Amino acid sequence: MERADKRFGFLCSLPILVVLALGFLAPLAVVALYSTMPERVFGLAHFPTFEAFRTLVEQDYYKSLLWSLGMAFVATCALFLLCWPLAYAMAKVFRSFTLAITVLVVMSLFVSENIRLFGWSLTLMKGGLLEGHARAWFGIGFDGLLYNVPVIVFGLVYVYLPFMLFPLAQGIAMIPDDARQAATDLGASRWQVLIEIDLPLAAPGIAVGSLLSFVLAAGALAESKLLGGQAVIVIADEIETAFTYSQNWPLGSALSVVLIAIIGCLVTYGLARVNLDAIIGRNR
Amino acid sequence: MRVSRRSFNAGFAGTLGLGALAGSKALAERNDQLNILCWEGYNSDEVLGPFRRANPDATVRAESGTSDPDMINKLRAGEVNVWDLINVNQPWARAQLYPEGLILPLDKDRFLPFFDSMLSEFQGPYPLAFGDDGELIGMPQRYGPFSFVVNTDVVSRAMAEDEGWNLFLDSGMSQRYGVLTYDNWNVMHIALTAGLNPFAAIEGDDAEKFRTTAEAIFGGAKLLTDDLVAMNTALINGEIDAYFTGGTYTASPARYDGVTQVRAITPASGPVDGKGGVVWIELTSKVNNPDPSSLAEDFLEFVQSAEISKAVAFAEGTYNPVSQMGDPGVMELFDADELDAIQWDSLSEELSRCLDYEIVESYDSLIEIYTAAKRG
Repeated sequence: MERADKRFGFLCSLPILVVLALGFLAPLAVVALYSTMPERVFGLAHFPTFEAFRTLVEQDYYKSLLWSLGMAFVATCALFLLCWPLAYAMAKVFRSFTLAITVLVVMSLFVSENIRLFGWSLTLMKGGLLEGHARAWFGIGFDGLLYNVPVIVFGLVYVYLPFMLFPLAQGIAMIPDDARQAATDLGASRWQVLIEIDLPLAAPGIAVGSLLSFVLAAGALAESKLLGGQAVIVIADEIETAFTYSQNWPLGSALSVVLIAIIGCLVTYGLARVNLDAIIGRNR
Repeated sequence: MRVSRRSFNAGFAGTLGLGALAGSKALAERNDQLNILCWEGYNSDEVLGPFRRANPDATVRAESGTSDPDMINKLRAGEVNVWDLINVNQPWARAQLYPEGLILPLDKDRFLPFFDSMLSEFQGPYPLAFGDDGELIGMPQRYGPFSFVVNTDVVSRAMAEDEGWNLFLDSGMSQRYGVLTYDNWNVMHIALTAGLNPFAAIEGDDAEKFRTTAEAIFGGAKLLTDDLVAMNTALINGEIDAYFTGGTYTASPARYDGVTQVRAITPASGPVDGKGGVVWIELTSKVNNPDPSSLAEDFLEFVQSAEISKAVAFAEGTYNPVSQMGDPGVMELFDADELDAIQWDSLSEELSRCLDYEIVESYDSLIEIYTAAKRG
C-alpha cells in the first residue's frame, strides 16, 4: 500500500519535475557546457578545452569574487544584528503593530530596486538631500557619501533587509516562551538566555535568513553600480561584461559556474542543518 | 482496417499535398506583424504610433536594448525567428551581424535614393552602410560625436578641446572625473589617449602602453557607472568636472533641461591623421528572419520621412542629430533649444575631427587588458 502511495506521489509530481528539469536544470546545464567551450565561440559544437577557467585564474577574477563574497558576508552579519531586535519585537512583543511593520517592509518591495537605490543616490550625493541641507542650514559642506565600499554594503543591507527580517521573525516565533521563563526561573542571566535558549532555538530562521541574504547579496550588481560608483568590480559585473562587451560567452559561463558552485555548496551545507519543516510549522 | 495500395498512395499524396501547402504558407511573408529590436527612440509612441495607424491590421512591437552586444546576443541565441529589424552601431552590423548571416542586404533600388537628401557626410552614399561585398546592409539615421564631456563652468571648452585626451592624464584632474563604462567605447578612447590608432593592430609595446594608460585612467577616476543619468547628475552636482567617454548622446538630456554647461567635447587633435574624436552612426538592418515580415522594409522607408526623422532624433531619453537633417524639411522641425541640446553649432566642425567608429582590430586582447585595469 505504502509502495503504491509512493508511486502515485511520484506520478503526481512528474509534471512539476519535468518543468523544473526544463526550466531550471537545463539552463544550468547549458551554462556548464558553455564554460568548457573554447573562448569566444557561440555554440556548443566544439571540443571542450576549459580554457575559460584558465583565463579566469590567470586574470585575477578571484578579486571580484572575493569582493562580492566579502561584502555579502559583512552585509549578512550587519543584517542579522540589525534585524534581530526588530524581529524579536515582531515575534514576541508587538501585536497588531507587527502587521503594520510587515506591510510597510513588504510595500518597499513593490518599488523597483533601481529606483529605490537611485533615491539613496540623490540623498547621499554632493548637493543631495543630506549635504545640500547641511550646507544650507548649518553652512557645513562635505564631500558626497557615495562611491566607496561602505556605501555598497549599506545598499545591500537596505535592499535585502526583508529577506533577513521575516525568516528571523519566524525563527524567533518558534522559541517557546516556557523555555525562556524556565531558564530565567533557574537563574539564567539575559545573556545566557540569548546564547543558550534564543539563538539555538531560532537557528532555522537565522540560517534561512542568512542564506537568503548572503546568496542574493553575493550576486548583487545594482548597489555597486548606483551607489558605489563601481569602487570595486563585483563578480556579477564581470559576468555581465564577459557576456556583452567581451562577447566571451564561455568566460561568462565559467565565472557563473564558479559562483553557482560556491553558492550551491553553501546552501546545501546550510540547509542540511536546518529543519525546514519546523520553520514552516509542519511538525511543531 | 485494411490498407490497399491505392488507398495508401492516395493518403500519401494527400499528406504530401498538405505539407506543400504548409510549406508555401511558411515561405510567404508575414504582413501582420513587425518586431523591432532597437536603441531607445524607435520604440516610442511618436515613431510607432503613426506606423500602427498606417497598418491597422498589423501588430507592431519594438523593444529597446541596453547595449549593442546585448541585442546581438539575442539574435545569436536564436531570436532571429522573433525580430524583423535591428538597430545597432555600424561596426557591430558590419563586423558581426552581416558576416554571421544574422542580417540581410536591403533593396538598393528602394533605399539608395534616400542618401541624396541626407547631410553631406552621408552622401556618396555613406560607405560604412555597406558590407565588404558591396551590399547595402542598413540605413543610417542617428549619429553623434562621442569622446568626452566636461562641465564648462569648471573646464572651458577651448581648454578641453586643446588638451584633448591628455586632460584625463593630468594629475590635477585626479579624482575629478568619472568613467562611463561603455566598455567598447572606452577601449577605443583609451587607445587614443595612449596615442594609438584603435583601428589598427595594437600589440607588444603598444599593448603595454594601452595597459598603463588604462590603469592611469581607472586609477584617477572618482566613479564608474554605465548610467548616463547618474553621470550627468554627478557632473551637475560638482562631484566630478568631466567624464571619460561621452558625447552629444549623453550630454543632450542635461542640455535640453537647461544645464548647457554640460558639453560634449571633441579633441582638436589626435593620433590618427590628426583626429582624436570618434563618431558613432547607427544602422537599422533587416534581420534574417526565416519567416520574414514584408513590413520590415516598409518601416525602414517610413522612418526616412521628415516628421518621423525628427521624432527619432528627439524621442525619449537622449537627443541626437539624424542624417536626414540634410533635408530642409527636416531641419525646419527643430527649434533653437533642440538644436542647442545636440550642439548643432559645432556639430559639423566636430565631425570633421572625428574618426569613423570602425572595427577595433585587437578588441579581444584589449578588452581583457581593459577589464583587468578596471578591476584594479
